[in-house]
Amino acid sequence: MNDHDLPQNGPPEPTLPPETNVDAGSQALAEALRSSFTIVKVVMVLLVLVFLASGLFTVGPEQRAIILRFGKAQGEGEKALLLPGLHWSFPYPIDEHIKVSIGGLQQVSSMVGWYAVTPEQMLAGIEPPAGPMLNPIADGYVMTADANIMHSRATLTYRINDPIRYVFSFVNASNTVQSLLDNALLHAAACFKVDDILTRDVAGFQEEVRRRATQLVAKQDIGINVEQCAIQSVPPRQLKDAFASVLKAEVMRSKVLDEARSYENQVTNRAGADAESLINLAQSDRARLVSDVAAQAQRFQEILPQYQRHPALFEQQRLTETLSHVFTNAQDKIFLADSPGGKQKQLRLLLNREPPKLKSQETKP
Amino acid sequence: MKRNPLTLIIGLLLIIVFALLLFVFQVRQSQVAVVTTFGNPTRPITKPGAYLKWPWPIQKVWWFDQRVQNFEDRLTEGLTRDSFNLLTSVYVGWKVSDPAAFFPRFAGSADPIAAAEALLDQWLGTAKTAVVGRHPLGDFLTTTDNGANFIAIENEILASIQSQLRTNNFGLEIEFLGIKRLQLPESVSQSVFERMTSERKVLADRFQYEGEAEAQRIRSDAERRAAEVLANAQGQATQIKGQGEAEAAKSLKVFQQNPELASFIFRLSALEDSLKERSTLIFDQHTPPFDLFQGVSTNLLTK
Repeated sequence: MNDHDLPQNGPPEPTLPPETNVDAGSQALAEALRSSFTIVKVVMVLLVLVFLASGLFTVGPEQRAIILRFGKAQGEGEKALLLPGLHWSFPYPIDEHIKVSIGGLQQVSSMVGWYAVTPEQMLAGIEPPAGPMLNPIADGYVMTADANIMHSRATLTYRINDPIRYVFSFVNASNTVQSLLDNALLHAAACFKVDDILTRDVAGFQEEVRRRATQLVAKQDIGINVEQCAIQSVPPRQLKDAFASVLKAEVMRSKVLDEARSYENQVTNRAGADAESLINLAQSDRARLVSDVAAQAQRFQEILPQYQRHPALFEQQRLTETLSHVFTNAQDKIFLADSPGGKQKQLRLLLNREPPKLKSQETKP
Repeated sequence: MKRNPLTLIIGLLLIIVFALLLFVFQVRQSQVAVVTTFGNPTRPITKPGAYLKWPWPIQKVWWFDQRVQNFEDRLTEGLTRDSFNLLTSVYVGWKVSDPAAFFPRFAGSADPIAAAEALLDQWLGTAKTAVVGRHPLGDFLTTTDNGANFIAIENEILASIQSQLRTNNFGLEIEFLGIKRLQLPESVSQSVFERMTSERKVLADRFQYEGEAEAQRIRSDAERRAAEVLANAQGQATQIKGQGEAEAAKSLKVFQQNPELASFIFRLSALEDSLKERSTLIFDQHTPPFDLFQGVSTNLLTK
């Protein structure tokens, strides 16, 4: 407001000279000066306004901001954090505001255990050709507990939970997190055997890396929360075939074992079925035997009185009856009459004219 | 010209601002500073805020970043106690802790932080060689103690560096240190590869033989069990038959009433059963009922 008062107070002074009859030229000059002063004043007011307005800033939805007054953070801990919205601070050099992105997941990858690959190749998914040997400077790898060499890379996902610590205590906190992850990976690998890392205990290895990384991060108080840790491990590419052959052998082993197990099932099932049918047969044999004998005994009881009346006649009658059955059933009957001269006759028979086995085989199918 | 009091105020304000610029300086949250008087460090400042000083050339302020620097040293070669060549590289989290001590040693260089790291690199190289030489390779790689030795090695390197820092007092402080890379020279990794290849071969063979042996075991075991089951069943069947015979024997008493008749009947039925089919009978005139032919002169015979 003071600035606005100025032009009102001003005029009486410059108006004095014209009364003292100064020439028109100098009056015009004074007039010009006065109007340019007014413009300068307006510009100054605008500048002050712009200066103050430059203290306005917005904090985005996934951001927090901190105000430094004369370089010192205003407020402690959580209170120092400005939430999303419009804020105002004194302009530099009194205040300074620093925005920190906390939203979203941050991610670092540890590549110390991976063979040399450029970022472009990684994006394109191209695998650079493997050299005949590992170059210890360019190619990274980890060493396992059983002194094997293998490649392993880890990706750690985290959220910033203490932006003040994250920004003001570390020059490059994500680099530090990466170093800690490198160490965790190296450490875990040195405690695990190569087969555990690759196949048998993949989850255990991953958990160990995560555990150690989380522990290190907490110890250094970096101000982050570890969310996720993903590991990828491969054998050295130079030994790809050797590792593949072990996998193949393992697959073959389980195949052979599966076959053996199915054979086992088959054999035991068949034995069980056979045993059952054997027992069933025995049971039916037993039943038949018992009932046969019982029936014979019954019949014996019935015919016994008849026999006792005329044993010889009964026998004769039965024998004849049976023989007549037998003779009727018989296929060939050869009767040898006594030769009139009492000479012995010779009888020649050709046996097995039709082999019974062959015939039964022929008829079956 | 008559002075306007307002102009005076503005002028005064400008002078104050100018004076403040000359006499006041800020130290940001992430910085430490040291004030030198005619080139001598006289006042270290480790807390952020605004401070007063005499204008240049009497006093001058030097600011340093006091946040933790992440430094990784070169890969250096060292011999383990059991004579393995081992290449190691560590990362170090360090910061400027005492600007007054830090300033005289490093302020002269264009990049004091880089200069300090070059020095650290040198010390780390020595410390690593010494510590690695005290441990066998087995201390680095082991399944038994969950890496306690590994941590111990890192701590030894840290301790060695820290004692260096203490004796030299360069205003540096190491917050943490860890091994970042652990590698073998190219020729050694080649022989490791050879060993790994033969290990793989042994493993593949073992899987194969194990599989075959196990399969064989499963098969023969199954066969044995099947035989057992069958033998058991056979025994049971025999027993059942025996029971049947014993049961049937009870009825045999009936036949004892007249053994001759019984024997006759059994023989008859046996005869009948045995000649049921496909039999050829040869008999002469003495077999009844063909004895009827006896004495009959047949033209059949005289022919």
